[in-house]
Amino acid sequence: MSSHASTVDPKKAELWDTHHHSHDVISTRTLGYFLYLLSDGMLFATLFAAYGVLSYQHSYFGGPTPAEFVKPWYTFAQTIALFLSVLAYGFGMNALKHKNKSGLINGMLAAFVLGVVFLVLDIHDMSHLYSMGITLASSGGMSAFMVLTQVHATHIFFGLIWILVMIAQVMTKGFTEETVGRLLTLRMFWHLQAVIWVFVYIFVYLWGYIS
Amino acid sequence: MSHGAADPTMHPEVQLSTSKGYFLGFAISAFLMLVATFLVTSHSVPPFGLLMVISVCAGIAVIAQIYFLLHIDISEHNIWNTVALVLFIPLFLITIGLTWWMFSQLYLRTMDMSVMSSAMQPAVHASATPGMAAMPGMNAHSDSGN
Repeated sequence: MSSHASTVDPKKAELWDTHHHSHDVISTRTLGYFLYLLSDGMLFATLFAAYGVLSYQHSYFGGPTPAEFVKPWYTFAQTIALFLSVLAYGFGMNALKHKNKSGLINGMLAAFVLGVVFLVLDIHDMSHLYSMGITLASSGGMSAFMVLTQVHATHIFFGLIWILVMIAQVMTKGFTEETVGRLLTLRMFWHLQAVIWVFVYIFVYLWGYIS
Repeated sequence: MSHGAADPTMHPEVQLSTSKGYFLGFAISAFLMLVATFLVTSHSVPPFGLLMVISVCAGIAVIAQIYFLLHIDISEHNIWNTVALVLFIPLFLITIGLTWWMFSQLYLRTMDMSVMSSAMQPAVHASATPGMAAMPGMNAHSDSGN
């Protein structure tokens, strides 16, 4: 490595730097996970685009439109449940900053319960639509509406499982590099769901209600 | 940059949490959603103005959440998250905007909206499935060919 390139003996040359460097494992993982979440955002971009082109009058095939079944204050209650869940997780992460394990677990439990409230309200809303005869197959517009809102609800469902897994890992393993890194990626995931929900609530539920 | 090896809770991404920041992110976005919901249900603003107002509410709420919850800023530690997000936003907007524009132009040039919406109302419950509804049209086409 120190000598000139033309005098390097190919049999002895060291191609890779095999020495151990302590680098920031947590930051490397959180940046990678953030890039993954942005590609998840592109998934939502395609679903928003599909809803955009399938929310014309003719898209509903003469059937029900969101203006007929969206209840703004009901969905506002869902919004507040999700925002409070995100806030509770944030307070839990603030407890992690002070190495307060019980504070962290209480925050995550509160985030879990509020996330369940959000999901139960969503499932109740969907079963109400189903009882009115409105399904995924009613029209192209209803397909786009339901797929978009239920893909977001699916994210919440998997986030809730992840919260339970992390509560168990914090209780058994404590604050290791792995668990703290996962708590940080879960914070990103959970908080991004609130960002996406703002778009879903404003541009699908409320705009659907007024158009 | 070898911090966090001994005590991961001292990692800067853990230490940048503040209860005040999380509460501000919650309060600002919840207040804006309340305003949007109230305006929509009160029917006091005409539809186009209402769309503009709730879009602004969504924009400010998202910016507040991205700043206070996702900690996207120009600090040394978060700059690459910020760069990735800034490069992501045009992709997000172009995907939605161009798709919507293409289909709105298609509808404008291929469909008569007034005929579509009025002709569709009685036909819905009469026809069985979209596939079945397409069959007579195909037959008619082959008949005219013969």
